[in-house]
Amino acid sequence: MTKNLLVALLTLASGAARAQAAEPQPAATPPAETSPAQPSEAPPAPTEAAPTETAATPSIEERLTTDEGKVAALEEQNIETKSDLSLLKKLKISGYVQSRYQYQQPDEDEANPGVHLNDGFSRFTVRRGRIKTTYNGDMGLLMLQVDIIPTAVALRDAEATLYIPGTKQNLSVTLGQMKLPFGYEAPQSSSDREFPERTRVVGAYLPGERDRGLRFNGKFGVMRVAAGFFDGNGISNSNFFGVDNDKEKDFVGRLGFDLKWISGGVSGWKGTTLGKRTTGPNPDAFRTAYDRDRVGADLQVYLDLLPLGGTALKGEFIGGTAYQRNNVEQLGIAGHGYYALLVQNIGIHDILALRYEYFDGQNGLDAIESGSRLGTNNAIGTLGIAAIHNFGETIELTAAYELSMTETVNGGTAKDPSDNLFTLQLQARY
Amino acid sequence: MNKLLASFLAVFLLALPLAAQAGNVTIKGSDTMVILGQRWAEEYMKKNASTKIQVTGGGSGTGLAALINGTTDIAMSSRPIKDAETEKLRGRFNTTGAEISVAKDGVTFYVHEKNPLSSLTLEQLKGIYLGDITNWKEVGGPDAPIVVYSRENSSGTYVFVKDNLLGGEDYTPNAQTLPGTAAVVNAVSKEKNGIGYGGAAYAKGIKELKIKAGSEEVTPSAENIKSGKYPLSRDLYFYLRGKPTGEVKAFIDFALSPEGQQIVNKVGYFPVK
Repeated sequence: MTKNLLVALLTLASGAARAQAAEPQPAATPPAETSPAQPSEAPPAPTEAAPTETAATPSIEERLTTDEGKVAALEEQNIETKSDLSLLKKLKISGYVQSRYQYQQPDEDEANPGVHLNDGFSRFTVRRGRIKTTYNGDMGLLMLQVDIIPTAVALRDAEATLYIPGTKQNLSVTLGQMKLPFGYEAPQSSSDREFPERTRVVGAYLPGERDRGLRFNGKFGVMRVAAGFFDGNGISNSNFFGVDNDKEKDFVGRLGFDLKWISGGVSGWKGTTLGKRTTGPNPDAFRTAYDRDRVGADLQVYLDLLPLGGTALKGEFIGGTAYQRNNVEQLGIAGHGYYALLVQNIGIHDILALRYEYFDGQNGLDAIESGSRLGTNNAIGTLGIAAIHNFGETIELTAAYELSMTETVNGGTAKDPSDNLFTLQLQARY
Repeated sequence: MNKLLASFLAVFLLALPLAAQAGNVTIKGSDTMVILGQRWAEEYMKKNASTKIQVTGGGSGTGLAALINGTTDIAMSSRPIKDAETEKLRGRFNTTGAEISVAKDGVTFYVHEKNPLSSLTLEQLKGIYLGDITNWKEVGGPDAPIVVYSRENSSGTYVFVKDNLLGGEDYTPNAQTLPGTAAVVNAVSKEKNGIGYGGAAYAKGIKELKIKAGSEEVTPSAENIKSGKYPLSRDLYFYLRGKPTGEVKAFIDFALSPEGQQIVNKVGYFPVK
């Protein structure tokens, strides 16, 4: 190694020496030319060379030509840079993290002291860790969103959208895994919601809020149309995760309007699902086709009543069959639910929200109990209050308390369980 | 635990600041409107020494983004708010915002004063800005390449021209973007083959093109702009998160007063009242 280094250095040194030896030869010529004239007064060669350089100075026109060329080259570079920059401007990377502390009361079984009907919890969680990449071009849009949390990395959205030419992006077709076009709360971003979680009824009928399919989006004046065909099982169905369990497609759509201060719509879902019901009074011998139908209506009103800030009233109703509980489809069982939400902004940084939500998984059947426990399908009403403070543009702190009231049996022994929930959430987004 | 939660919520709620700082108003947005906003602010502050009004540009899109982010009280915009921006405002502030038209303007196309053309049709202007027409001789001018100047995409004037002249299509990539209308005017005044656009207020020292409609040539005059006869006339807006209150209301009342609307005239735009 050292030997090689020495050889390399010697080679370089000898090369440099040869170069130095060769250079003086042309420099020696000028003295030979000047010496015959007036050797004693002859100016040194460099001084003589100076007038020659001055004579070679380009004229103003030549310099202008050169400068114009440089400017033209810079303009060309500028156009290229603009072209590259316009591509980058179409690319948007965003995301948010929702970190939480949650506390739920434990519920002691009064009939069996020491036994908890509900263990409750006190825990820190990272509920959502989203990274979203969107490229919005003239002809279409690409969107990819993943959720990275301590227990899993999951694909949330992978959609390709084509803007129908000549419609100023008012009409589009999307193919891939995307939000289902149903209702208001399900398509709403979790980072914009006042309460940490969606309501029970939305969680039952649109768990995960997404499915794979083809969706059409249209804006016709104040009218909004979003409808399409989907596999139907969503991204949370534990029996059919990421696949279709029948060859039939489910139709899901919403017809809405938007007058800015008031907006809303009606939604519908028509489809089927295959499954084998093993419990209940009529278990199936074989897999059976069940209806997976639902209807919905939603309304949002934005008022500017108080000098404190904006006030919003929002409500939604959903009813239908084959909802999911704990990621398992309740085949042939009908239910319904609704929520009403009041939101009041206080100045620029603070928001107060009050929500009542109700879900009946038995569609009006009487509540049941067994021993000291209430039926898992009994209707539940939840009253929640949330206070939100925004620290600048990116950080939001939410404190929410939700009081759950499970329907009890008239004259029964089981009481409404103590399962109230407190959530403190810090959300950061960019 | 219930007591603990109640205490926490009480502290949380008490910590909420109930009102914005009084006496300071921030205004941000349209470069077209900066001079107007500054003149209004100067005059208003002369009469209300305790009030501090800060006016900055950046473009209509930048101003509306600041309104949505909560970093400005008033957004100046030379275009109407977009649906997507209204949705963001609703999502964050549960309000659709308030739109107040404070002046009128006509988007004017400028050429060098030695350019022999005095008018162009909307189709010809569209062709130039889409890049389909690249030489002045194609529209009856001299045989010389057209140097196209435009604004940055955060500018409301950029969006207005894109929506109302180009039918939503993209500008030619050869268009040189400049940071403000004053810069466009300056560039056109120095480039004999140039064409640019901006608010009527800045059209000084260069030639304003008329819009040719059939045999008629419509000038961007006060009458034509106020009546809507000039096809590229528009409103200039203030946008707020809600109904104006306090100092913000007082300032807007001043801008819409006869004195405030006289300032509109002096700056070179046209009053709404």
